[in-house]
Amino acid sequence: MVSNPTDIREEGIAVEPGASPASGAPIRQSNLWKDAWRRYLRNKGAVVAGAVFVLVLLYCLVWPFVSPYSGNELDFTIAKQDPSLSHLLGTDKFGRDIFTRTAEGGRVSILIGFGATIAILLIGVVYGSISGFVGGRLDNGLMRFLDALYGLPYLPFAIITLAIIGRADMWTMMIALSIASWFTTARIVRGQVLTLKENDYVRAAKAVGARWNRILVRHILPNTLGVLIIAIFLELPAVILGEAFLSFIGLGISPPDASWGAMAQEGRTTYRTHPIEIVVPSVAIASLVLCANFIADGLRDALDPRTRET
Amino acid sequence: MALLEVDDLRTHFFTREGTVRAVDGISFAVEKGKTLGIVGESGCGKSVTALSIMGLIPKPPAKIVTGSVLYEGNDLTKLSEHELEDVRGREIAMIFQDPMTSLNPTLTIGTQITETIRRHYDVPQAQANKKAVELLEEVQIPRAGERLKDYPHRFSGGMRQRVMIAIALSCDPKLLIADEPTTALDVTVQASVLDLLDDLRHEHDMAMIIITHDMGVVAEAADDIIVMYAGQIVEQASTLDLFDNPEHPYTEALLGALPQLEGSGIRQGRLTAIPGRPPDLIDPPSACRFGPRCPYAGGDSCTDEMPELRELRKGHWVRSAHPASERVRTEVPA
Repeated sequence: MVSNPTDIREEGIAVEPGASPASGAPIRQSNLWKDAWRRYLRNKGAVVAGAVFVLVLLYCLVWPFVSPYSGNELDFTIAKQDPSLSHLLGTDKFGRDIFTRTAEGGRVSILIGFGATIAILLIGVVYGSISGFVGGRLDNGLMRFLDALYGLPYLPFAIITLAIIGRADMWTMMIALSIASWFTTARIVRGQVLTLKENDYVRAAKAVGARWNRILVRHILPNTLGVLIIAIFLELPAVILGEAFLSFIGLGISPPDASWGAMAQEGRTTYRTHPIEIVVPSVAIASLVLCANFIADGLRDALDPRTRET
Repeated sequence: MALLEVDDLRTHFFTREGTVRAVDGISFAVEKGKTLGIVGESGCGKSVTALSIMGLIPKPPAKIVTGSVLYEGNDLTKLSEHELEDVRGREIAMIFQDPMTSLNPTLTIGTQITETIRRHYDVPQAQANKKAVELLEEVQIPRAGERLKDYPHRFSGGMRQRVMIAIALSCDPKLLIADEPTTALDVTVQASVLDLLDDLRHEHDMAMIIITHDMGVVAEAADDIIVMYAGQIVEQASTLDLFDNPEHPYTEALLGALPQLEGSGIRQGRLTAIPGRPPDLIDPPSACRFGPRCPYAGGDSCTDEMPELRELRKGHWVRSAHPASERVRTEVPA
């Protein structure tokens, strides 16, 4: 009966005939990521935020190479200039070009932001997936420990960490900012792993002899990717704000090195006479944080069709 | 020696509400190359039986309390998880009810087949790919070579179940456990999948356990049938004997609930349903578990004790005080 050709042809139709890549026919290859991308594009706010985000990144990465000035070049003869064609955003009280310095500071801020976010993800994924995957007593123990850690306030803990390390550069900032902020990510990952672990395809993989490491790495973790991408854009603004705060109160990146927080701190002394020095880094921080939040929002709707508004 | 011998298997779930006796003392054997059907309604323990054989029951809360599962003489319940993993897929494979969710959406079909092959055999990727194409052709997926690179969402339900079968067969297991393999499929696709399973079973000289609640499915596929009720075997016989001479009142009722479209026994009017519900397995009655629903209960032959599974005639076992062939005419259903 299976050899009956009608049978097979009808089943074949259900899965788009001629859908093979070799047939070369122009077909709409719809998959999970393309669907998500389509849904993301429908969210105008998220698209604009994404564009601004990319522009800011490009500006920070490229402009320091293109700029005729160096962000650390002191020249008191041109101090506190207003925006002009030669200095797009004017100069600060030491005569440094603000437009260039903002890009250089942005590099540091964004690097710390991404570095700490990656660290948060790594710790969170490892901790959360072990907890969820092993389950039982270990899970209980790890989660109660996490509950206790949750009581730690994030910024004071970062301050204490910096004080213990005793020096503030990019690397120590990353450590300080990630050490007390991976808890939520760990919980999210654990929850996902717990759900995915009971999935039919995990059971099916076990039924053909897959070992635990393969099940975790091949069948469970790739399916948490959607949640992790959202987690990145939720953690990033928190970390960037944290960096700015630490640098602003003088515990983070210190002059003459630039970061957005450090620039705002320097500009604070002249905010009455020459406000642009504090406004520019503040706006930069605010725009990046706002964009990341909008992107996270758009991604959440795009990657989880169930929450999509109709 | 039979390929698989299950002896007095008891799998209980230890929950807060109490101990659920999902599988309560079942014994059976599967001969090499034969097909055994296990039928019963939802919650009678047929899937838990299969998962217990595979060692895939969720521990905790479930636990195999007593009993043994002898596969080629080795007790699977005594093996470590690590040793069991080598048995699964290589010796005993299993396919599940819902093909829509049994394939990982993030891996291509080809990857999922070749990973299983390479898990059990030390072969290069190219050879595994070749084998995967052969398998897909064997389960009659058109343009098998091209479809290796496709993701599961591009396959229909019937095709996915075929892929699941291909994965299950990839390491030439000696026993295939099919847990409701056709329940989630259209009727026409059901028939073709069943035929395919039967063909493949012959070609690969596999034994098969087919678990279903559909009497029609076992009638077509099985050599022998076990009827389960509330965690126990109530009747066991060869397929022909069971359908021609059902002995247990439950089996009779199950067959009576089937629509019959042709033949001499064609019925008119509504299908008969079995009154009542199966017993709570947390605290099952110590007497006959089918008693409360049995039309013959209360007669002289009924006692407060659990009837034993006894061999009524050669190869036909039944757990009832009043099987059809022993019923006297006065015992008319109320």
